[in-house]
Amino acid sequence: MSLLKLEQATIKFGGLVAVNSVSFELEKGDLFGLIGPNGAGKTTCFNIITGVYAPTSGKINFDGRDITGTPSNKIAQQGICRTFQNIRLFHSLSSLENVVVGGFLRHKTVLGSALCYLPSAIKETDELKAKAMELLELVDLADVANTRSRDLPYGKQRRLEIARALATQPKLLLLDEPAAGMNPQEKMELLQMVKKIRDVLGVTVLLIEHDMKFVMNLCERILVLDHGEEIAQGPPAEIRSNPKVIAAYLGEAV
Amino acid sequence: MQFNFGKWFGTRAISVIVAVLFCLLLDKVMQGPDKSYYRFLMSLAGIYVTLAVSLNLINGITGQFSIGHAAFYQIGAYTGAVLAANKFSHLAATKPLLWLFLAALFGAIAAGLAGLIVGLPSLRLKGDYLAVVTLGIGEIVTIIAKNQKSLGEAYGLSTAKIESVFLISLLAIVCIAVCRNLLKSAHGLAFLAVREDEVASAAMGVNLTRVKVTAFVLGSAFAGAAGALYAHTKAFVSPPDFSMDVSFLILTMVVLGGTGSITGTTIAAVVLFLIPEKMRDLPYVQMGTPLGVAIGIIVAVVLLRKIQESFHGSASERLGRNLGSVGIGIVVAFVMAKVLVMVPAFQSMINGALFRMPVLAVTLVVLMLLRPQGIFGHHEFSWSWVQKLLGKKSPETEVAA
Ligand SMILES: Nc1ncnc2c1ncn2[C@@H]1O[C@H](COP(=O)(O)OP(=O)(O)OP(=O)(O)O)[C@@H](O)[C@H]1O
Ligand SMILES: [Mg+2]
Repeated sequence: MSLLKLEQATIKFGGLVAVNSVSFELEKGDLFGLIGPNGAGKTTCFNIITGVYAPTSGKINFDGRDITGTPSNKIAQQGICRTFQNIRLFHSLSSLENVVVGGFLRHKTVLGSALCYLPSAIKETDELKAKAMELLELVDLADVANTRSRDLPYGKQRRLEIARALATQPKLLLLDEPAAGMNPQEKMELLQMVKKIRDVLGVTVLLIEHDMKFVMNLCERILVLDHGEEIAQGPPAEIRSNPKVIAAYLGEAV
Repeated sequence: MQFNFGKWFGTRAISVIVAVLFCLLLDKVMQGPDKSYYRFLMSLAGIYVTLAVSLNLINGITGQFSIGHAAFYQIGAYTGAVLAANKFSHLAATKPLLWLFLAALFGAIAAGLAGLIVGLPSLRLKGDYLAVVTLGIGEIVTIIAKNQKSLGEAYGLSTAKIESVFLISLLAIVCIAVCRNLLKSAHGLAFLAVREDEVASAAMGVNLTRVKVTAFVLGSAFAGAAGALYAHTKAFVSPPDFSMDVSFLILTMVVLGGTGSITGTTIAAVVLFLIPEKMRDLPYVQMGTPLGVAIGIIVAVVLLRKIQESFHGSASERLGRNLGSVGIGIVVAFVMAKVLVMVPAFQSMINGALFRMPVLAVTLVVLMLLRPQGIFGHHEFSWSWVQKLLGKKSPETEVAA
């Protein structure tokens, strides 16, 4: 059974059909790429999967459950978490605190015990901090754990977003242009990191990226969107030679 | 970081005992008929600390711009006053302290419920819209009180006079402690996350409505408790005590102290309450004096801003220049005051007490120019911070958020 299944998902903003009857399936353990020219509807796809918008029509199924129209926070609880194209960290919190917020959705203590500073709440906070620290080590940010996230350089902010999303213990991780603004060295490291997340943590990954080298090297299957519609789907080699994709997106150079 | 129950219990027990002893001591010091004025000041300062810190939970920590906090203060006050005058008049007369405690509890419950009813629908609104709604709520509550016979209409209600510096300061401390505990736990980080970015917090699984409504209800409940204590401190409640001005004063305390900072809000509450109160006693002065002071302030602010914008030297050099600018401002103020009073047009006498509100406005403008994040910004008082200030190395470097 597939982990995520979109069935003819469609969303309209006024007259604009941003995503038009898109269907695809992710299996557990997939490393799946979503590509397409600017304004193709990639981020909007993420937004309807994560409940930022409800699709105008169509269905979304996750892990055997219909999640169409479910609010964002519930979707996160069910195991889908994401990063944002235009980085959305909690700017005045430290790196560590950002990741703790990610881990908070699985908390058990009630608010009352936190307000009274009871041992249960302190213990849980300490545990969340310890787990957050492990994740910061995974994305190589342990040295800036106490730095305000606003003060981090761009590349580190992107990695912090990944750590924060991983803290929610997702089954499916959505990465929106994780390599944007990174230099080649950082991109190489990121590629290894995403592979590790899938191989070691067993998280299924769906990612949007404009850097074709990055996507082709990393992803095992790719879906191409153009003007909200699917124009191709398949392994990198097929996508690279697909004439429709070349015409709409890749151009002659690739 | 292994959790140690013994140590936890020890620290907790000591903090609670110290807090209670402190409140008892304050109460003792403020006893006696000759101290009634200071007792009243002290009580109101404590009430304003509670009001400001509870609004800070809503505005500063959770980021929901509410500007009608006086409404919940008023609901608490009227609840306390009405109950003490009717159902509980016997208890209020025989066991005043017990009643005062219960009154605070009832006030908190009433205001908390009101907060829930107002918060559930309106917290779906953002920023300016929420501000408009909360402003409206403030007005509505006052208007209801003004037009209800049972609430004394425009005149107000009198009730039992029960003063207790002990309970008032205890309430303020509990309010501060609750907010601080919240910020020390992962729960509090979720509140801060909502302030920082709603879309991202929802994507991380934070229930926005739950967090916002919780903050609103808690904040309102503390304001309600403060209201009930206020009603008995003054033995009288009337609509003007809860007007829009009061809401704005509380809001100013939060903004001035540094939105989100409990320490800053507490200090700002005391200062902003005491300044206008003390200025009531100012003598008549010649027009030239305040004018001179105003010119001095402008000069100092201009210089300080110049330093902020274009000086990039070391911290100590910067401090030197800042102090210098303040010094220049003071000198200019003195000289200008002396010069201006020689001008016949500026020799007319004016009541110094009239400057109470302008001083608040000027303070706020100066702060917005020099330090828009408030005096404390997002920082909190902590012992490791004191140690750092005293030049010692702290055992664990803490990030203040
Ligand atoms: N909330 C919205 N309201 C109106 N139009 C929207 C909204 N969100 C997205 N759109 C429109 O939908 C289309 C798809 O946008 P989307 O952000 O999904 O593109 P994208 O494929 O992620 O592009 P890019 O590569 O530039 O990030 C665009 O034309 C965009 O303007
Ligand atoms: Mg996009």
